[in-house]
Amino acid sequence: MGAGPAVKKIRKTYAGKIRLIIKNYPYRYRDYAFGAAAASLAARDQGKYWEMHDLLIERSPKLDRQSLVSYARELGLNVNRFIRAMDGKKIGKAIKKDLKLAVKMDLYNTPTFFINGRKVVGNRPYEYLTKIIDEELKRTGK
Amino acid sequence: MIRRLFIAMGFIFFSALTFTLPSFAGHLEPFKEAPVPKENPQTGNKIELGKQLFFDRRLSGDGTMSCATCHNPERAFTDGLDISLSYPTTRNWRNSPTLINVALQKFLFHDGRVRTLEDQALFPMMSAFEMNQNLDFLEEELTAVPEYVRSFKKVFGGEITRKRIAMALASFQRTLSSKNAPIDGYLRGNKGVLSVRAQRGFALFTGKGRCTECHHGVSLSDHKFHALHVPDNPALKNDPRVIATARFVAKVYHYEDYRNLNEDPGRYLITKDKKDWKAFRTPTLREVSRTAPYMQNGVFNTLEEVIDFFNKGGGKGNKALKPLHLGAGEKADLKAFLVEALAGEEVLVKHPALP
Repeated sequence: MGAGPAVKKIRKTYAGKIRLIIKNYPYRYRDYAFGAAAASLAARDQGKYWEMHDLLIERSPKLDRQSLVSYARELGLNVNRFIRAMDGKKIGKAIKKDLKLAVKMDLYNTPTFFINGRKVVGNRPYEYLTKIIDEELKRTGK
Repeated sequence: MIRRLFIAMGFIFFSALTFTLPSFAGHLEPFKEAPVPKENPQTGNKIELGKQLFFDRRLSGDGTMSCATCHNPERAFTDGLDISLSYPTTRNWRNSPTLINVALQKFLFHDGRVRTLEDQALFPMMSAFEMNQNLDFLEEELTAVPEYVRSFKKVFGGEITRKRIAMALASFQRTLSSKNAPIDGYLRGNKGVLSVRAQRGFALFTGKGRCTECHHGVSLSDHKFHALHVPDNPALKNDPRVIATARFVAKVYHYEDYRNLNEDPGRYLITKDKKDWKAFRTPTLREVSRTAPYMQNGVFNTLEEVIDFFNKGGGKGNKALKPLHLGAGEKADLKAFLVEALAGEEVLVKHPALP
């Protein structure tokens, strides 16, 4: 499940009022975490980030390379393009940059949310997050 | 703006609110500090060392968790979750209890498996679904840090051992007390510190609500274990990680049929006494308004839900509670008392510089 359902619901409820930025933090002791993060970004390049995200959560821990490619095929992505992107320097570099940022910010737990700078560690229910969002929207007069 | 960090997982511990029960009703007492064990006297340097260790992620196997992860000072020393955070890829099965006033507790953990903070400290470090650290390794890991070597030498006159790590952590946790709650002034005769509504709530707490039968004394706890049959938390159902956690704990406590266990047996795991099946420790009610969600499995998000649960006589089939027949106004008064009277001065702890 992860935080996906709550985040997706929030995006719908607050469409036009909030901006969502996702940073990757593949867990360093999981063999396939980095590859899975890369797969989600490679799918994003073809407009199917959330579809891949949901599939990765649903099929976890089956996240070996062969499985990732089969998920791309299942989602109707251009598989060759997907593989090139997943293995490419651009995505690898982007994920490493996210990891570096997390270390700099002393973040070690996933998911971690920042809502207008307010830090929330751990997966939270929809109502928990919307309470903070509402407070922040009110505070900033939006 | 929401920024989310992806993959892995994390979750720890628990908390239960009890009210009534048979036998005697105790009295509430104003705050007083818990005694410090002779074997581990409080010193400034030891408390500082304990604070550093409390915030140090080296205490977990993969370096992602410190004690403060699940006992966050900014959330009244809880993590604010129904089910506590846990070691990545695993899942906890209980709620993280507050550490504020923890020195007043005569039993620690929801199942009361230990009685002193010194004995408690190492459990989460060793637990596979909490910090998952190997203590032999931890001793060496800390000994490789010259600042820690110097600090332990200064505080204990010797090298870093697991026992001394636990002693320092216990000393720090003994400082986490919230003094001067309105209830303390009220019990000392200053009636004006509570609003009229909260005063009515106090009368219900000690009378018709029968709360003081279990929540009495300085800590507002009888330090006993009760099976209230709190509803299951749907978030835990059918999660293979939670089932693994339950069976792992049961196995460690020599519960014979651990492979078929799909629920939390509570205190029974420790005592193997039938009466303790699904019984959990009566928690302190000090700071209760700041420590949601409630109960050992975090199933109730608000005090209203908790009061309703007790008002209805607890969970299905329990023999500990009876319906209270409180009306809507009375329930609101009781809540006003819990919120207004039991929160003391904020415990301010800043993240220390770590070596």
